[in-house]
Amino acid sequence: MKLPYLIELENVTIGYDKSGFLNSISFSIQQGQFWGIIGPNGGGKTTLLKTILGLIPPVAGKVHCSEDRSLIFGYVPQRESFDHIFPISVAEFVAMGRYIRIPVGRGIKKEDWKVVTECLEKVEIPHLRDRPFRSLSGGEKQRTLLAHSLAGEPDILILDEPTASMDIKGETAIMELIGKIKERDNLTVLMVSHFLNIVARFADHVVMIDKDDEFFSSGTIEEVFSGETLSRVFGLNVTVEQFTDKIRIYAGARGSDKKTET
Amino acid sequence: MDTSSFGEFIRSYFLWRDPMIVGAVSGAICGFLGVYVVLRRIVFVGAMLSQVSSFGVALAFYLQGFSALSLFQSLIDPFALSLVMTGAAALFFALNRVFFRISQEGVIGFGYLLASGIVVIIADRITHEAHDIADILFGSAVVVDPKEVYIVPAVASVAILINWIFFKDFIFVSFDPETARLFKYPVRILNTVLLLTVGVVIAVTTRALGALPVFALAVLPALTALFLTEKLNWVFVIAVLIGILSAGFGYYFSFILSLPTGASITTCASLFFLLGVIWQQGRLLSRSKFG
Repeated sequence: MKLPYLIELENVTIGYDKSGFLNSISFSIQQGQFWGIIGPNGGGKTTLLKTILGLIPPVAGKVHCSEDRSLIFGYVPQRESFDHIFPISVAEFVAMGRYIRIPVGRGIKKEDWKVVTECLEKVEIPHLRDRPFRSLSGGEKQRTLLAHSLAGEPDILILDEPTASMDIKGETAIMELIGKIKERDNLTVLMVSHFLNIVARFADHVVMIDKDDEFFSSGTIEEVFSGETLSRVFGLNVTVEQFTDKIRIYAGARGSDKKTET
Repeated sequence: MDTSSFGEFIRSYFLWRDPMIVGAVSGAICGFLGVYVVLRRIVFVGAMLSQVSSFGVALAFYLQGFSALSLFQSLIDPFALSLVMTGAAALFFALNRVFFRISQEGVIGFGYLLASGIVVIIADRITHEAHDIADILFGSAVVVDPKEVYIVPAVASVAILINWIFFKDFIFVSFDPETARLFKYPVRILNTVLLLTVGVVIAVTTRALGALPVFALAVLPALTALFLTEKLNWVFVIAVLIGILSAGFGYYFSFILSLPTGASITTCASLFFLLGVIWQQGRLLSRSKFG
């Protein structure tokens, strides 16, 4: 029996200006799943994400959203995508995530500010409320972006490289926070990431794409993450070690002296 | 301060009352809308639109000289034509994101230079109105048309009303257009309304003050305000105040020192900007010194 989906991609071709660069993308995301999107730089990950969000129309095929309800996306774009000339405070920035529920021409009400406060508490930064967004550290900005995406009370959280340019401590803290929020709010998550081990640790399903190689694969982590496919997509020897409850991925052949955890 | 000059200025109240009202209102509304112009990094849109507005006025003077168009004399009003042309330029800019693979800056530069070139050519052709055109370009008029005492505040009031209704939305589509599109906000319509508001205000204030001071008031108060505060709402408030003070002091110095009014307003706005730079540098220095 086919399970009800939140989002389903049916033979989608992604690309820009009617010129597609990756065909036949089909997969469906169900309530409560955690999906990772991985691939090399310039492999089409963000394009796929924006196609799912409806920001870029698919060149061919269809993106179906659940028929049971209208989906609300909580989108966390890359931190660098904001112009720092704007003197926006953390609270003002988080409030913008609420605008999906505030029509054009209507101001922000008291209840909306209450939700903003709750979201700041969820991501553990209520003390940063009045600080300018541009003055925050990378980790603080990421938490603010997360609060911004939660403010609209979303059905699905969509994250574009949430741990890019972060040290291991910041990266772990952000990912654990995302995992905690996902569990508590029973959210569905879709995350683009460069870090294979992070995807392997937190996601239960994965999409792997590479437009240059016209490669697409989707499924559970165990189905998709094999040394052979990862080596093909990333163009170097990748070793996958499977343990009972986790997968470890290394760049470099098994038994090599120098192995880099990815 | 030279008290005799100040006393003379006060006694001449009837001379400067109208220009001062028009200048202060223009300074306030240009300062306010200038915040969007600066934050969206389209400062030269202000220059382009004020130049297109001047072009509209110059073209009206030129067309009025043709006897064949005598039937349409009442329609070829400098104010109306400048309003239509500035509105059209703002609309064109708002609706087109791709200009034959030319960057936005390139299109703005083209619009500015084309309008400037044609204004100078027209000024050369209609020598009898050349003085009026110079007034429009550089704002050297000490007096204003009595109609403008009503027109400028009326247009400013409409612009403020539009901003009062859509303030949150204008900030949203300016700061994060991608999320705004995701949220199904009418990004293009909001951008068009905002740019049309800027265009109409610039057309009206250019007619009253001149292109140079209007460009200065649409850029410098907002830039100065961004130096002085980290809070968005206060940036708007401070930009309005600096716009009013620049216009007010500009008229005052122009009056007592017999300076060209437009240049005087522009210089005052520039001095406020320099004070803003000094303030910010002082603040950064004290922060680095005292942690």
